[in-house]
Amino acid sequence: MNPLFKLFLLVPILFLLAGCWDHKEIERKSYVIGIGLDKGKEQGTLEITYLIGNPEVGSQQSGGSSMEEPSELITINVTDYISARNIANSVIAREISYDLLRVILVSEELASDKDFLRFIYGTVKDREIKRSTQLVVTKEKVGDYLKKNKPKMETRPHKYYEYMIDRGIETGMIPDSELHIFFRVTEEDAKVFLSAYTSSETTEEEKQGPTQDEFYAGQLEVKGETNRTEFFGSAVFLEGRMIGKLNGEENRLVMLLNEFSEISDIITTFQDPFHEQYQLSARIIAHKEKTVKMELNKKHPKIRVTLPLKVEILSDPSMTNYVEKKKETAQLEDYIESSMEKKIADLVERTQKEFKAEPFGWSLYARKEFKTLKEYMTFDWMKTYPEIDIGVKVDVELGEFGRQPKIPGFKGVRD
Amino acid sequence: MFKRLKNIAGRRKDKARLSKKDTLASQKREKNKSVQSSVTDNLNLFKQIYKIPENMDVKIREFTLGKSGRKAAILFISSIIDSKRLEESIIKPLLQCQDDDAKISEIIFNPILTPVTEIKKVIVHLNLGNAAIFLDGDHTAYMVDCAKFESRAIEQPQNEAVIKGPKEAFTEKVVVNLSLIRKRIKNEKLIVEATVVSERSKNEVLILYIRNLADEKMVANIKSRLENLSVDAVQNLSLLEQYIEERRYSLFPSVLYTERPDRAVSFLEDGNIVLLMDNSPDCMVLPATFWSYFHSPEDHYLRFAFGNFSRIIRIVALFITLFTSAIYVAVTTYHAEMIPADLLLAIAGTRERVPFPAFFEILIMEIAFELIREAGLRVPNPMGPTIGIVGALILGQAAVEANIISPIVIIVVALSGLSSFAISDVSLNFAIRIVRFGFIFSASLFGIYGMTALFITGLFYMVSIKSFGVPYLAPMSPHYVSSGDTIFRKVVTSEVFRPGYLKPADLKKKGDGSTK
Repeated sequence: MNPLFKLFLLVPILFLLAGCWDHKEIERKSYVIGIGLDKGKEQGTLEITYLIGNPEVGSQQSGGSSMEEPSELITINVTDYISARNIANSVIAREISYDLLRVILVSEELASDKDFLRFIYGTVKDREIKRSTQLVVTKEKVGDYLKKNKPKMETRPHKYYEYMIDRGIETGMIPDSELHIFFRVTEEDAKVFLSAYTSSETTEEEKQGPTQDEFYAGQLEVKGETNRTEFFGSAVFLEGRMIGKLNGEENRLVMLLNEFSEISDIITTFQDPFHEQYQLSARIIAHKEKTVKMELNKKHPKIRVTLPLKVEILSDPSMTNYVEKKKETAQLEDYIESSMEKKIADLVERTQKEFKAEPFGWSLYARKEFKTLKEYMTFDWMKTYPEIDIGVKVDVELGEFGRQPKIPGFKGVRD
Repeated sequence: MFKRLKNIAGRRKDKARLSKKDTLASQKREKNKSVQSSVTDNLNLFKQIYKIPENMDVKIREFTLGKSGRKAAILFISSIIDSKRLEESIIKPLLQCQDDDAKISEIIFNPILTPVTEIKKVIVHLNLGNAAIFLDGDHTAYMVDCAKFESRAIEQPQNEAVIKGPKEAFTEKVVVNLSLIRKRIKNEKLIVEATVVSERSKNEVLILYIRNLADEKMVANIKSRLENLSVDAVQNLSLLEQYIEERRYSLFPSVLYTERPDRAVSFLEDGNIVLLMDNSPDCMVLPATFWSYFHSPEDHYLRFAFGNFSRIIRIVALFITLFTSAIYVAVTTYHAEMIPADLLLAIAGTRERVPFPAFFEILIMEIAFELIREAGLRVPNPMGPTIGIVGALILGQAAVEANIISPIVIIVVALSGLSSFAISDVSLNFAIRIVRFGFIFSASLFGIYGMTALFITGLFYMVSIKSFGVPYLAPMSPHYVSSGDTIFRKVVTSEVFRPGYLKPADLKKKGDGSTK
């Protein structure tokens, strides 16, 4: 045999020497679905809670189903969550893996801390943490939140968080708060970052008012046998630190005005302008592009926004049949426009006075107004924003009035 | 001790047993003689050559010619001649002949009558099933054609079945095969050349090509390869392939087999060369590219959209066969983050009770599948279905229930096994199935990275090899003028050119838009 050929036979051994690094069988890992971050007992430490999914529960149709719990919680006190993985192994039998990490939960207390930024930037260092992980703020300590949060139906935690957050983003009750957006907004330094806000604690002053979306998480009264965890409203982060909150309604308005939100299913209520005791349910559809006009180079900078909306009135408790009455419809349109404009004006004022920064992403439009980056920098968007004269005009177009637009009059039935 | 061993092995005895008379050289000496004028002498010579009467089916019929009393004899091999024809058209007229001066060509009804003077040629004719007539006082033997070799009738193709299209297949009889081809090409330029490729058994290969189409150099190349063979016997084309191919260790085949005359004809008409041989129920097409293994004749019989649809299915099946098992191994051991959460947890959940690593698990099932396949092929016909049921049921269900294999592995292996059946060509099928194991190994060593490396190495190899001077992936890489019949095919009217890599004498085979 050719000696060169013999040498060639040794090549496969080279593969064996070089191969198999990073090799890990799938069942030898513990999949962390959520990481909870709380302030540690000492300065500069963290209390980390791991929510670990149990792959054996709910994954098999037949046979082998065990009586084990669907998830497991452990809380440890460490300096950061990269070293935490090994320390956790003193309790957890398998290697901790972040492959399935869905949420990073941060307590309001830690999020408001000036050192929060130092901790959260650790997620960029870890290879396994995806930037699509959601950053969620909890009202209470995350350890307590996770202990209390026991979903009845979606017992497997990864499904619960996935569905809960996705649906919340669709209805606009919570914002899309991927880690990636957090870092982008923080580094861009032109707007505030909104993060989903959640709580499993119920406050004493639970409400169930006529307008049902102006609450924070934990305030909505829900009865029945269910998991009392609510995802409602958003936490406002400025420069990587939590400075305030928006309630569900405010969050929806921000999402409507924001260019990049995925809000698609908004059903809300308006007071019936002709009968004060009734509320009208309405679906709001943002069907057209909004226009943002800016005049920033003048002494008093101005922003004018037009928000075209299609509104479908879905209920008619007064049994007036608005669809037939032209005058009333026109009035209804005006009423919805003015009431929404007022709410938006209040929200804008709040952002200007309280947060001193905007959540709407208008800085993108502002950049176009300047010829050079330098000019934009000297303009100083963040500093100028609170003084800008902002006007938002809502342009409502009424759509359909439910599946059956016409119903018999109340008096016609009760004669 | 060695001596004793030699004695036991009986080498010396063997040498002694083979008398000097019977060697190939002595046979040649006898054959070089010419036909004698005495019938008795001739018969004695042939009795010696054919070892009559030990050789039971070689027969001699002696008689006198008509009334003249001239001695005559007919020699033939009874198992390969048509005895009825022999009786009707040869023996009867010879016996009833009244005219003493008549030449033999005037007596016999048979259309083919060859006078031969050399013993060597007489033997060739006899072995081909002709009868030899010897006459007293004549230095020639008259060879009359009345051969009848037993063989199958024309049947439907077994391995290349189609729904739409002709349903004739080649048989083991080369004359029949040739007639099937001539039936489709009514052209005087279709040349059939015969070459004898073996020394003892005298196996004959027919080389078919169309004279003003096929590249002369290529024809000469193949002819010289066939003529240069020094082998005692080549039974059929499958064996001949292994003698004339260029890379005998290569995984990829370099000549194409087909049992369909219509397919052979379409290759001939494109300028390829076709080899036919007795005892081969198929023909060999040279040169062959990768695409010809991937194609099926039905692709062109079906309409444009349907043909391409079945091509898509087949290429997908090819990649599924190659990659699914390997991807499973790679993803579960290296790239868990690639799997959707639910699937990841499901795999992890079921794997918790499985004792083997994923790689080993896949390997067990793949080997089991290959076992079922091989056993199913070799098993006697009535037991075939049973093997299938036993294989699927016992191996699949029971292995899962015994926690030896996780259920997802069954799906993965079954999918890749099933897909492998979509590759109809036997040679390519084997190549793909073997390469698949290479992918599984590389996936277990390096994950997706290893698979990519192996795939690229494989592509390098495929681009580098040639089949009788034609690049394996032509006309895609390197590019040649052709009808673009590679992964997909064009509309029939746009397939205007013959493949350029064959260097055909006439490149264009249709008018533009197939009109005058």
